[in-house]
Amino acid sequence: MIKVLFFGPVAERVGNSEVSVAFSAGMRLQDLRAQLQALHPAAFEIVCFAAVDGEHAQDMSLPLAEHSEVVFMSKFSGG
Amino acid sequence: MREAVRLQQEDFSQDGEIAALRASSKRMGGIATFIGCARDFSEGREVTQISFDAYGSMAVAEMNKLRDEAIAKFGLLDARIVHRVGVVGAGDQIVFIAAGAEHRAPALQACQWLIDELKQRVPIWKKEITPQGDAWVTPHP
Repeated sequence: MIKVLFFGPVAERVGNSEVSVAFSAGMRLQDLRAQLQALHPAAFEIVCFAAVDGEHAQDMSLPLAEHSEVVFMSKFSGG
Repeated sequence: MREAVRLQQEDFSQDGEIAALRASSKRMGGIATFIGCARDFSEGREVTQISFDAYGSMAVAEMNKLRDEAIAKFGLLDARIVHRVGVVGAGDQIVFIAAGAEHRAPALQACQWLIDELKQRVPIWKKEITPQGDAWVTPHP
């Protein structure tokens, strides 16, 4: 399984802060995003960044692995 | 001594953080600090509280990277970054940054750079709580 986390405004739009998605061989970050975007279109309207295992991920073709931790995030507003 | 980079719910002491910074080196000739506070008015509305959500593990990792980068980029002797999470009241402290260097110019430049980069790179989100309802903040450019 892949653990997907949501925070702040994205979590509010998803209605959840964590979901699990079944991992399949060859799965890439863009595949996961497409799958979740279809389920939560309003949340993904504000998604600007992704992170995989705690690191910013700009390449959406990044391969995922079983037990990856993925986060889809809106613009930050700390400080 | 507490960690130089932290996320925490409780308030922080500016005096305590500066004392910790100064304890790291007696060569420090300039210390620049920034404190971000919760405003009680935003976008034409009264704000009573601000609630912060964070991707904690990544936020601390990014803040540590920022500190390391600032020390290397500006030749700092030390730097500290503390950010609160959870709910803070209007007027309360949110974030503290301190940069210490041999001279004032790099300390001041590093302090500005650190808060600007923090806003761009650290996964923290704020929601303003107002009498009219709550609203997540859209970042200013």
